[in-house]
Amino acid sequence: MKFCSPEGRTLPLSIGFAARPKSLEGLRIGLLDNTKAPVDKMMQHITKRLREKHPGIEIFSTSKKVASLPAAPEIMQGLRLNCDIVINALGD
Amino acid sequence: MLLISTSFTGLARGQAKNLGMPDMPTVVLPHPLGGTPLDTVLAKVDKQFDEIIAKLTTPLKPAVAGQGKIITTSEWVEIESADEWGGLQREFMARGWGDGLPLVPPTEARVAAMVRGAGLPAEQVVGVMAPKMGVATVELIAANAVMAGCIPQHMPVLVAAVQALVEPQFNLYGCQATTHCVAPLLIVSGPLAQALNINSGSGCFGPGPWANGVIGRAIRLILINIGGAHPGEIDKATMGHPGKFSYCIAEDETSVAWPSLRVERGFGGETSAVTVVGAEAPHNINDHEATSAGGLITTICGTMAESGQNTVYYTGEPLLVLGPEHAQTIAADGFSKDDMKKAVYDDARIPLTRFSPEIIERRLYRRHDIRYKNRGPGVMVTVAQRWEDVMVIVAGGPGKHSMFVPTFGATRSVTRPILKADGTPWLPAELKGS
Repeated sequence: MKFCSPEGRTLPLSIGFAARPKSLEGLRIGLLDNTKAPVDKMMQHITKRLREKHPGIEIFSTSKKVASLPAAPEIMQGLRLNCDIVINALGD
Repeated sequence: MLLISTSFTGLARGQAKNLGMPDMPTVVLPHPLGGTPLDTVLAKVDKQFDEIIAKLTTPLKPAVAGQGKIITTSEWVEIESADEWGGLQREFMARGWGDGLPLVPPTEARVAAMVRGAGLPAEQVVGVMAPKMGVATVELIAANAVMAGCIPQHMPVLVAAVQALVEPQFNLYGCQATTHCVAPLLIVSGPLAQALNINSGSGCFGPGPWANGVIGRAIRLILINIGGAHPGEIDKATMGHPGKFSYCIAEDETSVAWPSLRVERGFGGETSAVTVVGAEAPHNINDHEATSAGGLITTICGTMAESGQNTVYYTGEPLLVLGPEHAQTIAADGFSKDDMKKAVYDDARIPLTRFSPEIIERRLYRRHDIRYKNRGPGVMVTVAQRWEDVMVIVAGGPGKHSMFVPTFGATRSVTRPILKADGTPWLPAELKGS
C-alpha cells in the first residue's frame, strides 16, 4: 500500500569549503564564543596555547549576544573581513 | 571548525549536514563543559589541542558539487503489511515518523482530502522549517495532519501556524534544537476556535473530546518530520515537557471586556488568528481566597517571580493565562489588560540573592549591566525586560486558578491570521463538519 512520507524527500544544500592552510603561522584566527559557559574561558586558553605555538598569529575574538540566536550579520561580516580561519565553539 | 562536546556531536554534525557542509571538521571534547571546574575544562582542551591544530590545517576532500537551494518534494512509499495497525505502526516508527503514539496511516485518499481542506495547491510552499530546512508544502503538512488525527477543516489553522513558526522572530532554529524544554503553544483566537471545537474552557490544556489534541499533535509531527527535530538527536531538550506532544488552546474572548490577543495583534471581527508562543509547561496559580485585584496580583506575581526562567535572562515574553474568574475579579476593580501587564512587570520581581553567583555575573550583569550591576544585593530582577513584553490572555473554566507559562526567552510570539487563498478570512460556515 502507498503512503505519503510526512518528511518528503529533501535534497540538501551542498557547499564547498575554503582551502585549509598548511600552517597557522602568520594567520588571522577568529574565535566565535556562543556565550555558553565556559566557552569564553576555553577560548582564552586556546588563544594562549595558539600564541605559544605560533607567535605570529593574530587573534580576532568575538561573541554572539545569545547562544540560542544566530550570530548577527555584523559579527559574521567582521569574521569574514578579519579572519583567515574561524573556530566556532558550541554545546554545553 | 566546530569545537563541541560529546553529547552534542549528533546535533552539530547533523546541522552541518543540513546546511550543506557534511564534512565540517569537528573536535569533540568530553561532555560536560558547563557547570564544570575550569581546570577540568581546560585539561580537556589541552588533551585535544593538537587535534584542533590538525583539523584546522588538514586539507579537506573537495565538496560534492550540489545545488545551492534546499528542495523538498513529496515522496510516496510502498509499505506492505498484513496487519494495518501493528505492522504499519512499527514501520512508521522505524522510519522515525512518529511521536511514540499510534499514527493514522497517511493514505492517498486521506492526504488528498486533507489538502482540499487547506484550499491551496498541494505543492504550494508554506515555509522552510529549521533546523533541517525542510520545505513545508501543503501536501506535507497534510500528511502530518492525517497522521495526527486531524480532519480537513483543521488545515487552515495548521497552515497559519506553520506560517507563524517560520517567521524569523520566532527563532524556530533555536526552539527546535535547544536543551530548554520549549514547545510551540498554539493560541487560537476568533470565531473559528468555536467552529472547530478548539477548547478555551475547562481543561483547555488537557485531554477531551475537542480539537486541541490533534491540532497540537499535528504541529509536533510537522516539527519532527519536516523540521527534522527528532527527539534526542536534533531536539536536544534536556527533559522537554508534555506539551511537546500537543500544545494548543483557544482564547476566551468573552469573559472580560479586554482586547483579545488577536485584537492586540491587529486582527478583529471575522478574522480568526493563531499565535505561536515558544513556551514551557504551564504552572498553576491557585488563589481561592482573594476578592480584589490587589490580592490576586500579589499571588500571581509571587508565582511568576521564579529565578530559573529564561525570560529573566533574555528578552522574551512571559505568558499569564488568567482563568475567567480571576480575570473578572481583576477587571471589576478597574484594571485594563495593559494595567495587568504593568502590574506583573512591577510586582513579579526576584531578589538578586535568588540567583547563583555565576548567573548574576554571566547572564544578568553581562546582558543587563545598567539595570542590575552596582546596585547592591537588594536589587530586584524583573521577569520581562519591558511591561509590553508580558502577555496576558484569558482561558479556562470555572474555578479560582490561573496559569503562568514561562517562555524560551530567545523567541518572540508570532500571530498570523487564518486566511483563504484569496486573502479573506476563513469563516465558521465554511468549516462545517468539525
